[in-house]
Amino acid sequence: MIELRNQAAIVGFGYVPFGKRGEYAERGHLRLVVEAVTAACADAGITPADVDGYSSYYTPIDPPELFEAFGAKQLRYTAQTWGGGGSSMCGAFQNAAMAVATGAADYVVVHKVMTMEAGARYGQAFGQMGQGVPSIGGPFQFSVPYGLQAPGQMFALAARRHMHLYGTTTEQFAHVTMHARAMAANNPEARFRTPITVEDHHASQMIADPLRLFDFCMETDYGCAVVITSAERARDCPHPPAYIASAAVGAPFRYGNALMSFYNQPDEDFASSGQRAVAGEVYRMARLGLADMDVAMVYDHFTPMVITSLEDFGFCAKGEGGPYVADGNLGLDGPLPVNPHGGNLAEAYTHGMTHVNEAVRQIRGTAINQIPGATNVLVVGGAGPSPTSGMILTGSPG
Amino acid sequence: MPGLPGPRPDPTTEGYWLAAGRGELVIQRCTACGVHRHPPTQVCYSCGALDWEWAPHPGNGTVYSYTWVERPIHPGLAALGAYNTTVVELDDTNGVVRILARVTDVERADLVVGLPVEVHFDPAGDEIALPVFRPRRARA
Repeated sequence: MIELRNQAAIVGFGYVPFGKRGEYAERGHLRLVVEAVTAACADAGITPADVDGYSSYYTPIDPPELFEAFGAKQLRYTAQTWGGGGSSMCGAFQNAAMAVATGAADYVVVHKVMTMEAGARYGQAFGQMGQGVPSIGGPFQFSVPYGLQAPGQMFALAARRHMHLYGTTTEQFAHVTMHARAMAANNPEARFRTPITVEDHHASQMIADPLRLFDFCMETDYGCAVVITSAERARDCPHPPAYIASAAVGAPFRYGNALMSFYNQPDEDFASSGQRAVAGEVYRMARLGLADMDVAMVYDHFTPMVITSLEDFGFCAKGEGGPYVADGNLGLDGPLPVNPHGGNLAEAYTHGMTHVNEAVRQIRGTAINQIPGATNVLVVGGAGPSPTSGMILTGSPG
Repeated sequence: MPGLPGPRPDPTTEGYWLAAGRGELVIQRCTACGVHRHPPTQVCYSCGALDWEWAPHPGNGTVYSYTWVERPIHPGLAALGAYNTTVVELDDTNGVVRILARVTDVERADLVVGLPVEVHFDPAGDEIALPVFRPRRARA
C-alpha cells in the first residue's frame, strides 16, 4: 500500500485582509481569489501560472475560471469534496496531497472565498430557498416548513442534547468564546479582540436557545488560498514545509446530512461533531496520537461544537468537554493549546482556511502566539454534514 | 406556519404528507427487513431493499431535543415571537425514528427532553398537513 504520510506539504498561503460582511461585495469573488492565490504563490516561491491543479470544498470560483485567469499552460487536476461549508475542509487538502504525491499535478491550490452581498446571510441560506415560493422540496421539506432554517438553529439541537446527556452548561459555552477573544487580543488582524466575561456572553442576544450571539462566529468577507506540492519540491521552496502527515474525511454510521435534515444518529453521535470516525483515521494515517500534538486548530463556528470536537478527537472523555474548556485547558499554558490566533470566533470566519494558515505559521515559527518548538499540529474541520474531516501537519517528516 | 413554505411532496414523500392531510401518521417500513425509517428514502439503510410500504403509527413519542428560535430567519415569523423546533423520537419503532417537528400547546418552561408527546396535524394546503406534537395527557 502507498502511504500518503508526509508525501506532500503546504508551502505557501495567502489571503486578503478580512472584511465585514458585504465589505468586498463590489470587488467580487474572482478578484478576491486571484489576489489570495497570487499572494500564496509568492509565499511559495512560484507564480500562479505554475499552478496546475485545484482542489476545493465548495467555492463560487471554479477551477476552469482560475486556470484561465492565470494563463497557466496546462490544467492537470481538479477535485471537489462535499460536506457543507467547512465540514470537509481537510478533504480538500487530502485530495491535493494525493494529487501531488502521485504526480497528477505539481502545484495544487486549495482556495476559499466569500463575500456576502448586502442583506445576504449564511444563516438565511436555507430560508432563502423557500422564500417567495409556496413550497420547498428535497430534504428540507422536512425542516424548513417547521421554521428550522439556519445552521445556528440546527446546532442548537445538538447542544441541547449534549446539555441533557452530560450536564453541559451555557457558562461552559461562554468559556470557548472567552478563550478565543483572549487569544485574539494581540492579533492585529483579528476582528474581535475585546475580552468578554461569562456575564457579557449571557447578556448577548439569545438567537436559538441555548445559543446566544456570542456562541456564533461572525460572517466575514475573505479570500484565502494555500499551495500544496510534493515533499520533494517542497524542500526547494522558500519556507519550511508543513508536511501533511495525514488528512482524512469520514462519518460514523447514519450520520448522513446530520442536523441539516437528518436526526437519526446514534445518541453518542447526535450530541457530537460527527468526527469520531475521522479522528481515528487522522491519527492512524499519521502514526501519531493526540499526545504528540503541540497545538490544535479546531473549527469553531459555534461554541458547543468546539466542545464536541474536543471530545471526538480525544482531548477528554465523551461528555467532559464542557468542564475541559471551562478549566482553562485551551490556553497557551494548557496541555494542548487551541486556536492561538483566535479562531473563527475572534479572528475571522473563513470556513477553516485561517486555521490552516495558523497551523503553517506555528510550524514555521512565525505565529503571534507562537508555541515554542511547535512541530505537530492537529487541524479539525467543522461539525456539519458528512463528511467531516481532520488532518495533521508536521514540520518533522522523519 | 405563516410566512414559511410548505412541503413540496415528491414520489417518495407524498404518501407521508397526504396521510397527514387525512389525520394519520405513517412511517416508511422496509417490506424486506421491517425496519422503519424517516425521512422517507428510496433505499433501506439496513438491508438495501428498494421496496417499502407506509406503516401507520399511533404518533406517541418523547422529546429528544429542541431549540427555541428567538431571532427568526424569515421575517414572516417575527410576529409569532419565540417558537420551538423539536426532535421527537417515536415510540415502538423497529430502528430509531426521529421526526423534526414542533410541540404546540406547551409553555416554554414545560418543554424538556423526555417530555411525552402525541401527534396532531397542522393543515398545510388542501390535501396535506404537517405532523406536529403536543404534550401527552395522562390517561385516567
